[in-house]
This record gives sequence, C-alpha cells and structure tokens, in this order.
Amino acid sequence: MSADADSLPRVTPAAADMVTPRPFLREHWPWFVAILIAIVMPWFFFNWSTGRHSGFVLTMLSEIGLMTIFALSFNMQMGHTGLLSFGHAILFGLGGYCTAHALNAIKDGGVWLPTELVPLVGGVGGLFFGILFGYLATKQRATAFAMITMGMGELVAAAALMFMGFFGGEGGVSTNRVTGVSLLGASYSSSWQVYYLIVVWTVICVVAMRLQTMTPLGRMANACRDNFERAQFVGYDPRMVRFYQFVLSGFFAGIAGGLYAILYEIVTFDTVAAPKSATALLATYIGGAGGFFGPILGTILVVLLQSGVSLLSNAWLLYVGVLFIIMVMFAPGGIVGLIAAHAPIARIGRLRELVVPYIRVLIPGLMAVLGFIALVELASFTTIGASQGKKLALGGMAIDTATAMPWIVAAAALILGGFWLRREAAAFRRRWDALIDEAKAQGAAA
Amino acid sequence: MSDVAISLTSVRKSFGATEIIRGVDLDIPRGQRHAIIGPNGAGKTTLFNLISGRFPVTSGSIALNGTPIDGLAPHEINRRGLSRSFQITSIFPRMTVFENIRCGLLWARGYKYSFWRLLGRQKSLNAESERLLERLNLGARRNLPAGLLSYAEQRALEVGITIAGGADVVLLDEPTAGMSHSETDYAVSLIRSVTEGKTLLMVEHDMSVIFGLADVITVLVYGEVIASDVPSKIRANKAVQEAYLGTEAA
Repeated sequence: MSADADSLPRVTPAAADMVTPRPFLREHWPWFVAILIAIVMPWFFFNWSTGRHSGFVLTMLSEIGLMTIFALSFNMQMGHTGLLSFGHAILFGLGGYCTAHALNAIKDGGVWLPTELVPLVGGVGGLFFGILFGYLATKQRATAFAMITMGMGELVAAAALMFMGFFGGEGGVSTNRVTGVSLLGASYSSSWQVYYLIVVWTVICVVAMRLQTMTPLGRMANACRDNFERAQFVGYDPRMVRFYQFVLSGFFAGIAGGLYAILYEIVTFDTVAAPKSATALLATYIGGAGGFFGPILGTILVVLLQSGVSLLSNAWLLYVGVLFIIMVMFAPGGIVGLIAAHAPIARIGRLRELVVPYIRVLIPGLMAVLGFIALVELASFTTIGASQGKKLALGGMAIDTATAMPWIVAAAALILGGFWLRREAAAFRRRWDALIDEAKAQGAAA
Repeated sequence: MSDVAISLTSVRKSFGATEIIRGVDLDIPRGQRHAIIGPNGAGKTTLFNLISGRFPVTSGSIALNGTPIDGLAPHEINRRGLSRSFQITSIFPRMTVFENIRCGLLWARGYKYSFWRLLGRQKSLNAESERLLERLNLGARRNLPAGLLSYAEQRALEVGITIAGGADVVLLDEPTAGMSHSETDYAVSLIRSVTEGKTLLMVEHDMSVIFGLADVITVLVYGEVIASDVPSKIRANKAVQEAYLGTEAA
C-alpha cells in the first residue's frame, strides 16, 4: 500500500485489520476495559458495613447486559441488513418462555442441564421461532417486512394470553433458577452470581455478533442493505441472506430472553409485546445503528433512564420519547455518529478549540433542559403525583405546584434558555464548519 | 457445450398493452464482443433486463450456453456464468471499495452464506480482490466508501464487481455514459482487458467506443433487430443510416 492510501480515512475496521495485523491487546484494548468495568462495577455499590451488594444496581447492570444482547441482535436486522422489525421482542420473549419451561423441567429432575448453559435453551428457542417467523417475513423487505413483523408481534402477544399451557396467561410462567445443577458449583441464589453469569454470556454474544459481521453472510447482509439488486447479480439470493440473518438474530435475541428468565424468574406477556420491541429500536437509534457498537451505548442510556429515572420521575417515558425525537432529528447517526463526527477534527489535533464553544452551548442548553424538566415535573406532580399523594421537593424545600411562581420560573428558563441556545448554537456551527473545512483541506493536501 | 453463448428465440416483452420487444432472434457466439445500438426507447436496456432475468419474457425463449434460462431468478442466472452492470451505476455505496470487489467474488469462490468463516483470514480471496483492485487502478481508494468515489471510478468499480466472479458472459449497459474523453479511453482499454476471452454484450451510445470494441453490432429499432453484422457493414447499411441518422437529424 502506498503512503497515499494510508492517509485515507478508515471506514471499517474489518477492512483495516486485514492489511496490518496489529498486536491483539493494542487493537482490542477497549474490549478489555469494558469487561473490566463490567466486573468491578457492582463493587462500587457494595455496602461494606452490611456486606451486601445493592440489589437494585445488580439488577440494573444485569438488565443492561441482556438488553445489550437484545439490541445488538435487533441491529443485526436493522443496521446491518436494513430490515426494520417492529416485532423483534417475540424472539426475545419466546426464548424466555422456553427457558422458563426448561428451568422448571430441570428442577423437576426430568432434564439435566447446568444453569450456566440454560440460556442456550433460549437461543435454540429463538432460533426455532426465527426460522418459523423469518421464513414468512423475509420474503419481503423494507416497508412490507416492517408491516409483517408488526403483525407477527401482535399475533404472538395475542397468543400469549390465549394459550395458557405455554404462556401461562396474564400471570406468565414462574420459575426458579436455583436448580442445583451447575458446572461451577454455584447455586445462583444470590444476584451477584446471576450478574456474573450474564456478564459472561453478554461478552460471548457481543464477540460472536461482532465476528459475524466479518463473515461472508455478514458482509452480504450489508451488501443487500445497500443494493439488493447488485447483490443478486453477484450470485446471492437477497431473500436467503435476509432469512439467515433473521434466524441468527433470533438465536441471540433468544439467549437474551433466556438470561431474562434466569434474572427475573418469571416470564410474562410483556416480554413479547410491542413496548419490548420498541425498547430495542430506541436503544439502537439513540446509540446509532450505523456502526456495531452504537446499540450498546444506547442500551446503557435507555436502561439507566428506565431503571434509574423511573424511580425519580413519573414522566420518565416522556424523557425517553423526547430524547428519541431529538436524536432522530439532530443526530440520525446516534451517539456513535456524534462521536465519529469529531474524528476529522481530532485528526488535525484541534479538538481543544471546541472546548469553549461547547461550554458556551452547554450553559443555555442546560438551562433550557432544566426548565423543560421542571415544567414536566410540575405538570406530573399536579396530576399523577397528587393522586399518589407525593409532594414535589427540591433540595429538601417543598414546592407548591398550585402557585404560579415555580411555573413562571420554569417557563422562563425554558424560553430564555432556548433563545440563548439558538444564538450560541449558530456560533458553534460556524466554528465547527470552519474546523471541518480545515480538516478537509489538510486531508486533501496530505 | 454449445458454441453459442447467448441465444434469443423470438423474444417478446410487453408492459401492459405496449410491446417493447417485438420478436428478437439473436445468437451471440462464445468469445464475441457484441454491441447493441439503437435510438432512445428502442428497447436495448429492456433486452438486457430480459437476458439477465430481471424481467420475465412475455413469450419466446432465452438460452445461456445452450440451456434455457427462462423463469430463473437473476442470482440463478448469475451462478450459471452471466454477469451484468447497470445503466445507472449500481454498487454498494456504504461499503468500502475493497469490500465491493470482494462481495463480487464471494459466491464464485464458494463462500455462499457462510457465517463461520472470517473474511480477514481468507488469504487467497483477499489477495485476489487486491489484484483486481490494482487492475482497476483503484488500489489507492481501497478503504474509501464506494459512494465517495468519482463517477468514472464508480463505473470502473462496477465493471470490476461485474467481472470479479469470473462470469464468462458479461453484459455492460452503457459503461462509458457520462464520461469525459480521457475517462472513456481508459474505460475502453479496461473493458478490453478484463473481457479478454469472454463473451461481451454491451449497450452503448458512443460510436467510437462501439467501433473500437465490438466484433459485431446489432441495431435495434422499436423492439426489432434491423441489422446485425460486422462494424464496417453496419456503417454502410442503408436501413441503419435511415433509422439512426433519420432520428438523430429529426
């Protein structure tokens, strides 16, 4: 390769790592950092005086792990193959039901399977239903595919309430993860053991899905997404590419569902329903569907909002919705897209010049956001909050939502912050464009 | 094996009530470079779409290397050794130039829908892709998303994807359309070199390209073949001059 080619931007690491094999650790260090964080994270919330883990944090971290698998499996269809599914949760939930029944069978002594491998039951379930539903859905692509998956989602959700034997009706299927069968001698009666089991499975699944993007099927999925007709004329049947991709995605979604069953020890109709599918969509969009890692960031954010903010606010779903709209409107590439946009400026070593402009938009931005949150909370406390008997308080100071003052302050913060932000944003834009132009000029000169 | 690469027997194609291809009989011998010319709307691209399986024929029959291919899907026809390019550039815009070429090779090298083999490890496949990339003069662009290439580079890339799998029958739809003189000259030499020993069927408007490349020219006017002969005879053909120059002058 010439020096000229080296200066060109690397778009896919997959292409880059074939030319110059770099030392394994130097290339993959972010993976190890992420795994390390996952391992030590619960210990930051460990209560040393009582010697107990925080159950809430462990559950939330476990949820992040399994939802990461779920969102990435969703993106195998959406980002990588261009298939927008509105019913992805059916593969997740059905995997969960299969796992719950498997755990019950193991408990009864009918089947021998160590708990460590039980998520595979979910995977096989997801694979099976992936074949079943994928066979029908992948006959179509684009909008027709989206409509079919939506119909399937409704179908399974309806079936979940009709077929008591498998789905357990509204009560769902309860199970017990403490089966006494383990390869490691772990009982899985405490949630930290479950958490580390989920970490291991998450790492395995993330690595497997990452590697899958570098295989012939993974690449042809991209090709069919980009141009299915061209793919036909290099010998591939786009329908089969979609089908295999769908089935594999079902396998991973099923594993996520299996982990869900182990974590919560109950699988209900919620796991197959539309809101679950929407969660994967939200996480993928907010994180960024274009790259591989976007859905992971999106999942972390969405689960934090779901588990954390939902404790603090009745209106948490509204915040998720607003965040989603803002991302789709202003950052269609998601969080990953936003980060990647900085790459050209970083390459010319002038990222520092953005610090001041960033602070200047951050202040009015924060003001507008706080004003908005205050308005939403005031509204939610006068309606839902009042019926729940809650009182709004800020820093120990009670705020009477029936008086005009807090409303005026909040509205003023939102409006003034909004106008101020618009001015600062325009200035930021100019600085940004100038830096990007410079980066382009330097790139062309190099 | 028959020595006729593509054989069309009274092929007709209608879209609704409009008959676009009105009974075409054509035999293209193996190894020939064959050009189809004709005024706008003559049905040249439609003929390509019929041969490559993009549209089904209304009546008549098409054979590839002696076996009928009627009713086969495009990918099945491709697997039997026919490959094509498009009038409007058709590449994989979000993938890198290198991966575009490699996608063109995958099926032909037997990778099928494999999801267990890592492409980075397929040394001979990657080396072959690199060689083709160099041949197309796109080596310096290998890691760029294909959508960012210049127009002429995208056309060259498409020719590369088309011939990558080693198909012995190649259909090129206006490969030099929209190119400058120097770009056209380069494209012609590229097409000549990569289709060496293959059967080439091309639609083209640029007469210098046609007379530079084609062994035989077929003239299509309103869905019918009015002449099919060597370039010197076509040039002298009265009916062709009338159909062609008549419409050009009008």
